Amino acid sequence: MITNSVVRIFLLALVTSATFVSCKKTEEDVIDPDTKNSVTVEFENRVGDQKLILGTTPYKNASGESFSLTALNYFVSNISLKNENGTVQKFPNQYFLVKQTDAKSKLITLKDVPSGNYTEMSFMIGVDSLKSVSPVTERTGVLDPTSYGDDGMYWSWNSGYIFLKIEGTSVAVPKTVNANQNFAIHVGGYGGGWNGSAKTVNNLRTITVPLTTKATVRANIAPEVHLFVDALKIFDGPNKLSLATTNSVHSPAVATPVAENYKTMFQVDHVHNNKQ
Amino acid sequence: MCITISNKNLAHRALGLLGLRASYVMRLIFWLTGLCTVLMGCQKAEPDAQPEEQIFQKPANFPEPVYALDRNRPTAAGMRLGRALFFDATLSRDGSIACAECHNQAYAFTHHQHDVSHGIDNQVGTRNSMPIQNMAWQSTFFWDGGVHDLDLVPIVPIENPVEMDEKSTNVINKLRKSAKYPAMFKDAFGTDEINGPRFLQALSQFMLTLVSGNSRYDKWVRKEPGGTLTDDEQTGLTLFRAKCSGCHAGELFTDNSFRSNGLSISPVNDLGRAQVTERREDRYKFKVPSLRNVEKTLPYMHDGRFYSIEAVLNHYAENVQFTETLDTLLQKNGKLGVEMTAAEKRQIIAFLKTLTDDQFLRDTRFVEP
Ligand code: HEC
Ligand code: HEC
Repeated sequence: MITNSVVRIFLLALVTSATFVSCKKTEEDVIDPDTKNSVTVEFENRVGDQKLILGTTPYKNASGESFSLTALNYFVSNISLKNENGTVQKFPNQYFLVKQTDAKSKLITLKDVPSGNYTEMSFMIGVDSLKSVSPVTERTGVLDPTSYGDDGMYWSWNSGYIFLKIEGTSVAVPKTVNANQNFAIHVGGYGGGWNGSAKTVNNLRTITVPLTTKATVRANIAPEVHLFVDALKIFDGPNKLSLATTNSVHSPAVATPVAENYKTMFQVDHVHNNKQ
Repeated sequence: MCITISNKNLAHRALGLLGLRASYVMRLIFWLTGLCTVLMGCQKAEPDAQPEEQIFQKPANFPEPVYALDRNRPTAAGMRLGRALFFDATLSRDGSIACAECHNQAYAFTHHQHDVSHGIDNQVGTRNSMPIQNMAWQSTFFWDGGVHDLDLVPIVPIENPVEMDEKSTNVINKLRKSAKYPAMFKDAFGTDEINGPRFLQALSQFMLTLVSGNSRYDKWVRKEPGGTLTDDEQTGLTLFRAKCSGCHAGELFTDNSFRSNGLSISPVNDLGRAQVTERREDRYKFKVPSLRNVEKTLPYMHDGRFYSIEAVLNHYAENVQFTETLDTLLQKNGKLGVEMTAAEKRQIIAFLKTLTDDQFLRDTRFVEP
């Protein structure tokens, strides 16, 4: 008897708590697609497991070459978010230039994202071919080719954007190549083909990263996706690049192995879904 | 040029004096205008034509322009602004060199007497300056076609360390601070806010107005007064069409393609088009240049290696080199080059000189303001 009533009470408690839990759950899971909020993506540039500091901080690549960095810039565009139902939300015509020297540029905000549980994010490093041949009047903000000052992100002689550039100094760079042992690796090349002309090398790369913690956009939740961007991967991805030989890259074909490498440098560290 | 009657009342009165009935007159005018248009491609008198003079005009014998004029049609104010910029050395790092320095009107806007252009601090480049004329008909720019939009051209010389060696961002800042430019931008674009796109579009507006289509050859084609060619010149034209127009085609005398015409490869080893496309099959290919005003655009070729048209023709007749990409038109029947007798060369040269357009070379609208 005693055991029987104990079991019954236990069961009752279980059912009750289950009801409570499920109640709470449904409350949280109501997704009103008409409500929107923003998603912020943070690009935190690092070098392996070290902070990226421009200047003289020494780093070492997999070839054992020590180097320091003076610039790391890249364009991010064509961002999209996929929700758990497989619906893809695109953010067309939004171009961002991430610059290590500019803290604000490392925070990208996507506005008006419909409520939903997002499980995947994609983005392109570079400026797509359509925009790369667009009229000058459509190249505003970070796409204005006259806006870069000394920190050029545009190949004027070959009309195209530099998608990513990394610059610095390394004792591995032969003095015969550069007296100050500086290196400059610029990746561009949107594939040509304008005016029916020949296709050229295409170094546009799209990166897709899973959001293992879903980004749960709600009327009162504006998630933050925090990416670690490991600059070491630029040298040590699928292709092992040595600064002794890869130190001056300024045209598309030679830049392809670099693009293949940096495709692997983005990783989601965590997602914040804090209520506002 | 034919006369188009724009004031119909005046026409009525004038013809009324001759005792002609109005309906006849109208029909006559209609017919004459039509004939005019057909023969010479004059514009019909439109009662509601814009009062603003047409700054950009397509010569009747030219094909349709390829520049997107709807996006940036030259206006009087835009052209004035573009011209001021073109002649302004502010666009260079130390204020020493303007576009006009290497693009001189008297030589169809190319750099005279320099095989390769001389820029800032007397530095020399590796390429011969190009004429700036009939830009609205060109779809690629520079000897290697690296730029696909006229609006994007100016950034190249401005930022080239051996040409103007300045950052375009600095140029825009200098213009913003100048006394004269904000007002000129307002005239041209309706706002005195100076920015990159407007700066580039203004320079394009000026360059687009540099249309050369009034040479003696053009007048001959359009059967206009002054349009006479001598027998030698006409024979030269026939020879040219047979031997040269496979590449120097149509009224612009270029098919806008990139080809190798068999120049020996110089120590500079300029890869030309392949520098842009990075394709082996494009090595040593260069833009087929227009031959308009060729009498004035010496020296010739991408590196300015020939100082006279005679030297060019001797190249085609005797010196074409075999390279992996030599154009097939220059290796017919197992022979390299173009067969020409001395007399034929002379006649072709005589014809080429009929492409000189004095009106263009002296047009006061293009002179430094
Ligand atoms: C130091 C001499 C120099 C200066 C200054 C200069 N250019 Fe040029 N320009 C050249 C040379 C050389 C070329 C051919 C270069 C090549 O093909 O690589 C050229 C080519 C061009 C062309 C291409 C024409 C064609 O048929 O493709 C245009 C247009 C042009 N320049 C416009 C300008 C403008 C506008 C400026 C001023 C902002 C300017 N240039 C300043 C030397 C100069
Ligand atoms: C196979 C194509 C081809 C044929 C045929 C050809 N040309 Fe050319 N021409 C070119 C190319 C390409 C260039 C520029 C080459 C360079 O600079 O490397 C050129 C350059 C020239 C130039 C120099 C123009 C300048 O502004 O520098 C002249 C003049 C010229 N050609 C005349 C002729 C004449 C006359 C003939 C016929 C006898 C002829 N060409 C036949 C392709 C051709």
